Amino acid sequence: MTQQYDEATTPAAASAEADTSNSSLISRRSLIKGAGALSAVAVGSGAITGFPMIWAQNIKNVTLRQFGTGVSNLNDIAKKAKEDLGINLELTALDSDAVAQRAVTQPNSYDIADIEYWICKKVFPAGVMQPMNVERMKNFSKISPLFINGKLTPDSKIAQGTAPHTVGFVESADSKTFAKEPTQWMTLIPTIYNADTLGIRPDLVGRDITTWADIMDPAFKGKASILNIPAIGIMDAAMIAEAMGKVSYGDKGNMTKEEIDKTIGLLMEAKKASQFRAFWKSFDESVNLMASGEVVIQSMWSPAVAAVRSRGIACKYQPLKEGYRAWGGGLGLAKHLTGLELDAAYEYIDWYLSGWVGAYLNRQGYYSAAPETAKNFMSADEWGYWMEGKAAAGDILSPEGKVMEKAGAVRDGGSYAERMGHVACWNSVMDENKYMVRKWNEFIVS
Amino acid sequence: MNRGLLSVSHLQALPLSLTLLMFLVFPIAVIIIVSFWDYDSYQLIPGFILDNYQYLLTSSVTWQAYLNTFKYAISTWLITLVLGFSIAYYLAFHIRTTRMQTLLFMLCTIPFFTSNIIRMISWIPLLGRNGMVNSFLLSTGLIEQPLEFLLYSDFSIILAYVHLYTLFMVTPIFNTMMRIDRRLIEAARDAGAAPWQILLMVIVPLCKSGILIGSIFVLTMVMGDFVTVSIMGGGLHASVGLIIKNEISLLQYPAAAASAVVLLITVLIMLMVMFRLVDIRKEL
Amino acid sequence: MARTTGNRRPRSFYWLTALFALFMLFLYGPTLTIGILSFQGPNGGLTFPMNGVSLYWFHNLFTEQQVGDFGGSFTRSLLLGVGVMLCTTVFSLLAGFAYRRRFAGSNTLFYLTLASLIIPSILISLGIGLMFDRLGWAPHWYSSAFGAHLTWTLPFGLLIMFAVFNRFNPSFEAAARDLGASHWQTVRLIVLPLIAPSLLGVALFGLTLSYDEFARTLMVSGSFNTLPLELFGMTTNVTTPVLYALGTLTTVFSFAVITLIVVLMSVSRQRQQHH
Repeated sequence: MTQQYDEATTPAAASAEADTSNSSLISRRSLIKGAGALSAVAVGSGAITGFPMIWAQNIKNVTLRQFGTGVSNLNDIAKKAKEDLGINLELTALDSDAVAQRAVTQPNSYDIADIEYWICKKVFPAGVMQPMNVERMKNFSKISPLFINGKLTPDSKIAQGTAPHTVGFVESADSKTFAKEPTQWMTLIPTIYNADTLGIRPDLVGRDITTWADIMDPAFKGKASILNIPAIGIMDAAMIAEAMGKVSYGDKGNMTKEEIDKTIGLLMEAKKASQFRAFWKSFDESVNLMASGEVVIQSMWSPAVAAVRSRGIACKYQPLKEGYRAWGGGLGLAKHLTGLELDAAYEYIDWYLSGWVGAYLNRQGYYSAAPETAKNFMSADEWGYWMEGKAAAGDILSPEGKVMEKAGAVRDGGSYAERMGHVACWNSVMDENKYMVRKWNEFIVS
Repeated sequence: MNRGLLSVSHLQALPLSLTLLMFLVFPIAVIIIVSFWDYDSYQLIPGFILDNYQYLLTSSVTWQAYLNTFKYAISTWLITLVLGFSIAYYLAFHIRTTRMQTLLFMLCTIPFFTSNIIRMISWIPLLGRNGMVNSFLLSTGLIEQPLEFLLYSDFSIILAYVHLYTLFMVTPIFNTMMRIDRRLIEAARDAGAAPWQILLMVIVPLCKSGILIGSIFVLTMVMGDFVTVSIMGGGLHASVGLIIKNEISLLQYPAAAASAVVLLITVLIMLMVMFRLVDIRKEL
Repeated sequence: MARTTGNRRPRSFYWLTALFALFMLFLYGPTLTIGILSFQGPNGGLTFPMNGVSLYWFHNLFTEQQVGDFGGSFTRSLLLGVGVMLCTTVFSLLAGFAYRRRFAGSNTLFYLTLASLIIPSILISLGIGLMFDRLGWAPHWYSSAFGAHLTWTLPFGLLIMFAVFNRFNPSFEAAARDLGASHWQTVRLIVLPLIAPSLLGVALFGLTLSYDEFARTLMVSGSFNTLPLELFGMTTNVTTPVLYALGTLTTVFSFAVITLIVVLMSVSRQRQQHH
């Protein structure tokens, strides 16, 4: 941390800690300073030098090729990695279909795979990746327990579906079978995750939305949408079917053929009745559907809601009584990495967890896998808004420095614990995956 | 004529032959082989099974997808044919200078220099519920409710196809029209033929090859498309190409390969019928 | 019916002019929408309504994006396009010459070329991808994608060459040979200049088809994306009207190039008439 950063944030942080119950007591002076520090972080990331940890020198100018979806393949991260570590990160952004495809079929075309956990379940057993030795990671201990044992807090319930911890570890350095308990060998180092729910246009829905079943309300005929990526869409559908009371599942994350039939049957019925306007496949499509008013209620990602709102259009990320559908992604190493490049990849992934990236992702509305390191890189106000569900004291800026939320705003869905604590299921790959995909195709052509 | 095993012609055709062998024949062979393999969610399992074909040929998904695809192909073909013929006729018979013809033709091609992906995205603000077309119609009072069928429907899919492929119909028809001896038309007129008779009995038969070449372009491109269907259909509609694309993205390569083989056979049968009607080499 | 002589326009002329104008409007509809929306204000989105008017996105095009890399992918697409263009021109020209004589296997090769054109693109992509995978070769934009693009551009090239040579008058060559020109001299001094405009056509086809190719490149581009793939990848995060700015610039640029060609052509024609 630089001195200027510390000086600017400490008073705000101190007063925030001193009186968490009543944030209005924070002095005006510290608020201004806090806001100043915030924009220093957001805009002038170059101003923060003198990183406390000393990163290895020998990896300078090593080039690593990373691919993934546009969600986390951000140029700012590559720039910062160059600054802090000296490595060259070459990023390739792909659509989510192409990601799984490339991971399996072109293992030599990348060094680091930025993939989701449900994709990992398909990709890792193909033997194209190598697990990571957690003992080489200084920041391993900072990773949220959600990714280690599936429990956000010691007494929380493990959600259904492909929960990250179930595919997070393997038995040994050259094993391809997922371990039941945490081991020293991690398949993906978690980086980014979130809880998804329905996004709505409060100005156009005209009533309170409280359950996943509301998406099937005939009032929204021709104005609803869900995701058209089978592994994710089927989970949306399951949340809906369960909420409507039409299907009861043993395990939504691992349905039987009969459960799949019923779920898809429900979707086909709705499609015949013209309930859906479109299905979306990419972040961008979901934003455009909502911003253009084509759709007023759809399953949505939190940053997509923010993107609609930043255009001055009312959009709400609506918490629902059944809970959230969550997803998580992480970084994995290609099998072919050895020697200096492997060292560089370890350094890079460890650095990824060390806070700067985490803060960046938090500011976009995702969550960092190592929250406590990210906290050091966020102002107290930012932390309060994004993670603690508090009203923003000053304007909340996006990483590019645009105003995302005005002072006084409270994040939809509340705090980190509130959101991630109410995950009902994770995106998943089921045992009956082949069958499910065939049924999904049937649904799409129907 | 040198008809030996290795002539100059063979050497001259060698680069083309090698390219096609390497990037067409071998890959298709691989697809055919893989279509008999088994698979699970992350890998190919070499073998010889007929499951992929069995599922494909008995599944309602296949029939529905083919039905959709034929529907798109035939509607697009009919519209582009009438539209393309009219445009070509206009350019060939009504525009009198070559320079003007070239200029108007160039004008038709300019939109194609902008990336297809970008053009596709821009249909939403044009045809959407609050798009330009609806706003215009609402403001003129022609409609009271925005038209929903303009976007994410069969209509929008066919519209995009017509937009993309009409030029492929115009070009060959225009080409053959330019080669029609104008004296034939004069002769027909002098013999007392009415304008519509000249059109149907002189011009259309003489344009047969152009019409067929254009039809081949349009039909084959629609049959294999997946990008247009997925974007303009809003994910609600599917064609054979899109089903293959979905299978590929889910790493179900053998299933995709089997679908691809069936699609290939379908397209080839369609073409064989068309080639019966015209010798494409002579007519270019 | 159109009269080729006389100045009186038949009624069909006006109907067809109207149709042509409508067709132009239809063709340019998306281009116009792109044009208008590329002037969105800094907070504007990809759809209407307009959120202010500015040149912000044109400026933004030349700065680093949050996701994706216009510069790199554009360079790759351009290099690939130029490479494909050169190969297409040379290969089609050679094959065009080959087909002026009969040779064993000519029919097979012809139908193979046609097949290459009409086989669904997704199949070529899948096939080449699988082949490289099975052979253990790494796909790259300059190897596998290059081949995939050639399967798309070569048929167009060959068909154009057919059209050219079908209408080529061999008496020019005969005359040249009678005057004692060698075979090579005949080709270089007589044939090539005569077919040069068509060769330019083949080259342009090669460049533009490759530059905008998406489906055949999808599975074979290797580590780095071509421009169309990059644009598609960028839509996995918030895309901004910067895409439209790119579209508008390309359209304006191609307009300029085409206008330049038309002007140059008419100037050279006038000069020829003078001499």
